[in-house]
Amino acid sequence: MNLGSGPNLMVACYAAGACSCLLARWSGRLALGVAHLAALAGAVAGLRVSLGVLLGAPGRTLTQPIPDLFPFARLSLSVDGLSAYFLLVISLVAVAAALYGPAYLRAHSPDAGPARQAAQALALNVFLGCMALVCCAGDALTFLLTWEGMTLASYVLVVSDDRDGENARAGLLYMVMAHGGTALLIVAFLALTERAGAFDFAALRIAASGLDGMTRTTLFFLALGGFATKAGVVPLHVWLPRAHPAAPSHVSALMSGVMLKVAIYGILRFGFDLLAPAAGPLPSSWGWVVLAVGTVSAVLGVLYALQQHDLKRLLAFHSVENIGIILIGVGLAMILWRQEGASGALAAVALTAALLHTVNHAAFKGLLFLGAGNVLAGTHVRNIEELGGLARRMPWTAGLFLLGAVAISALPPLNGFVSEWLTFQALLGGASRFPGPAGLVIVLSAAMLALTGGLAAACFAKAFGVTFLGRPRTPHAEHATEAPPTMIAAMAWLGTLCVALGVAPGYAMRLLDAPTAELLDGATASAVVTARGPLVLSTALMPPGANATAISMTMVAALLIALTAMAWVLRRGVRRAVPRTAPTWTCGMIPTARFDYTATAFAKPLRLVFEALYHPRREVTRETAGTPYVVQRIHYAGEVVDLAETQIYHRVEREISALSQAIRARSTGSIYGYIGFVLGTLFVALLLVGVIYG
Amino acid sequence: MTGDRPLELVALEMFLLVLLGPLVTGLIQKLKARLQCRQGAGILQPYRDLTKLFHKGTVQADTASGFFRSIPVLVLAATVAAGALVPVVRMGPPAFPLGDAVMLLGLFALARFLTAIGALDAGGAFGGMGASREMTVAPLVEPVLMMVVFSTALAAGTTELGALAAHRGTSWFLAWGAADFLGFAAMLVLLPAETGRIPVDNPDTHLELTMLHEGMLLEHSGPGLGCMVLASHTRQIVTLGLVAALFFPAGPVGGTGATGFLLGAASFAAKVLVLAIYLALVESSYAKLRLFRVPQYLGVGFVCALMALALRIL
Repeated sequence: MNLGSGPNLMVACYAAGACSCLLARWSGRLALGVAHLAALAGAVAGLRVSLGVLLGAPGRTLTQPIPDLFPFARLSLSVDGLSAYFLLVISLVAVAAALYGPAYLRAHSPDAGPARQAAQALALNVFLGCMALVCCAGDALTFLLTWEGMTLASYVLVVSDDRDGENARAGLLYMVMAHGGTALLIVAFLALTERAGAFDFAALRIAASGLDGMTRTTLFFLALGGFATKAGVVPLHVWLPRAHPAAPSHVSALMSGVMLKVAIYGILRFGFDLLAPAAGPLPSSWGWVVLAVGTVSAVLGVLYALQQHDLKRLLAFHSVENIGIILIGVGLAMILWRQEGASGALAAVALTAALLHTVNHAAFKGLLFLGAGNVLAGTHVRNIEELGGLARRMPWTAGLFLLGAVAISALPPLNGFVSEWLTFQALLGGASRFPGPAGLVIVLSAAMLALTGGLAAACFAKAFGVTFLGRPRTPHAEHATEAPPTMIAAMAWLGTLCVALGVAPGYAMRLLDAPTAELLDGATASAVVTARGPLVLSTALMPPGANATAISMTMVAALLIALTAMAWVLRRGVRRAVPRTAPTWTCGMIPTARFDYTATAFAKPLRLVFEALYHPRREVTRETAGTPYVVQRIHYAGEVVDLAETQIYHRVEREISALSQAIRARSTGSIYGYIGFVLGTLFVALLLVGVIYG
Repeated sequence: MTGDRPLELVALEMFLLVLLGPLVTGLIQKLKARLQCRQGAGILQPYRDLTKLFHKGTVQADTASGFFRSIPVLVLAATVAAGALVPVVRMGPPAFPLGDAVMLLGLFALARFLTAIGALDAGGAFGGMGASREMTVAPLVEPVLMMVVFSTALAAGTTELGALAAHRGTSWFLAWGAADFLGFAAMLVLLPAETGRIPVDNPDTHLELTMLHEGMLLEHSGPGLGCMVLASHTRQIVTLGLVAALFFPAGPVGGTGATGFLLGAASFAAKVLVLAIYLALVESSYAKLRLFRVPQYLGVGFVCALMALALRIL
């Protein structure tokens, strides 16, 4: 079959899925089933297109005109290597989400009405289709329209899950933040289209090549602001931990695992392609700013995740962290690109790390959100303090969640480690390339990355341990049952990706060749990272010792398996006796679920160590019976604040409220007064126009 | 690169580390006892303890999940695998790439993560307490350790430990700069934390106030506990091997055959002995710090590591 029809087929599948909402008139469940089936078909079609471009002839771009909807703009789809790579990431997770969705919605909200089911069927397909099309857009208008479609559809999904005020507020905040970001993007795009006189990217590229440095940098930071809002970069992240958990779990997986990556796509498209100067390095401020916000996001994201006890919210904060890690790689690639010397290879390592972490994060975050969905569907509880002991009741979910937890904590031999290792290598190489304070900043960024990894491990030891291990703390947890096979299958698909990308990452490098070659003028991922064959990852930190550091994930995994087999023999002991079971030792008391360590208690030492960042609030009140020595009841309330929220957003909110109050005091209610204001404003505006153009 | 190590040598070194790990612990215990004017158990005591454990049966908490039984196996495997990444008798990268210092720290982190999971599994307060404290200290140690590794790696242009050691060469004591001294000072601060010793942790007691690592082992028994204990012996000797590889990799270079092997092994033993004496001295002369003093203690290491890096780069 001709690959050229691929994008059409994909769009047709998603469109058919969107239309299936009409079936909800007869049966909501049928509508959802058809919608997810169509989404699955669309995802498979997307996989075909992206693999076709990525594995096809180098430099191939698939272009597809769209019927002229607007008289002033030519619309088109254009799938080059970068687009195809992000389309691949989207489609990989979309397959899992489409498999997972029907059973989840049935288990989680069995009493949903047909209107809600129709809305979900429609929004899911529009969401997936728009995400795919943002990455495939060949012109600014298609990009902005699908970008907006993606935001609106995800908003519908966020507010669709439960009909409570919390979701609506989360949705509203999401809407406001997303549109603030989109406004910045529109300005950035319009500044380019105005100069180009056309909307297609090719014309924008030509127009951008004539920009002076100042304008170029301003436009980049406008775009960066817009994309960073969508990506949930600190301090623009406040909507993310509210909106992502509110959506149905498979949509959370898509929002966290994939939608944020669309913003990364935007940053790469703008930074390395549309706005990049024709020759010479990028303005140095770009890379350093991206590196700095990436580092801050990584550390703060994981620190706040650590204190969350809502499983899905915790995962959402980890998305902030992982976006930070991706941006560290992107920023470093921007800094190193087209510098003199052998930096080309190093920039390729940095970009490879970022792109690889993109697909890795999509895989393990998708897996973890689906696991959280299983827990939610089985218990209807999101607060991990009310769970516990689920590993015995949901063994498959627990095993796959543990796999995701190891992967996200950047532990070998899974995929999270591979991309962090590459990021470390790129940072180390970058540091040796910039002697002086700049190098020290890069090394500190590496130290922060190490801190992030350690804290992520602590966070997931907590999340997994408190949710799945120990005793059930509430009847919800006690009566949990394992999720249906399709939900497990969806998780297993993403789990397989985590293992494959961890144990044999060299084989995936081929898929990164097209995007790296396009963005970096030639240096490909596989030429740099897998120069010694697909089993070995190697990097050249310094020019003289080419390929100086080499590791083999495959060998280490094989070693681990062999050693595990040996240790298993040792574990059986000399006597090989059948293990006896006995109650856990609790100093002679009868063990109950209250002996289990809670999440609050587990995270307490780190809460105290990082007190300055958390400003923890703690209230303990005692009810005593007359004398202080007989305590009847103790109330404990604790809370950790998000510094960005209290220090920035609440202040801005207060200022705006104060300003509104001040304006209100001036509004007299007299119509003459208002007419006077209008005339006065008009006069000032005309005067300004006269001064500027006159 | 001189002295490429064939894979059979790497495997031999790995098992050597596992075999000698308990001996180092026994040695430290003996030294501590002598410093405290006690006779102390023989230096082979850890081997006797291990033999005893592997001969015992297993008692398992009735609340533990299916993961619990495999935790000791995986922890031991991850720790021993880390041992394969340290050069012992000969320097230079292995004949086929395995992993570097980052991978070594990653495998340690994997073992620690799994240990914490196992501790939470039984559902007792002690396990949770140990896990919580261990997972508090670990993220603070790891970045500093990584900085120390980077401060050496920046000079050599690689993070592969064999290659790092080879780059430093046999005449390391002539080439040490200020950055090396500071990096080594940071390492000396971190060493007790990474090996779970005073002033950060106390390996000798199960007392609630001190328990970090030991608290996590309470619910393991018999051969399972044996695996966990063997893993912590191995972890200790591998950490000492990491220090040796980073800072004083003196050993015969390129010496093949039995003499080279023996000379290399002897020099490795001497280095480990020196570090073991250091650990015993520190353990005997300091008290355990309160948990919330530990970050300040590690802060000293952080400052040293930062200055080492700054000197290396600026």
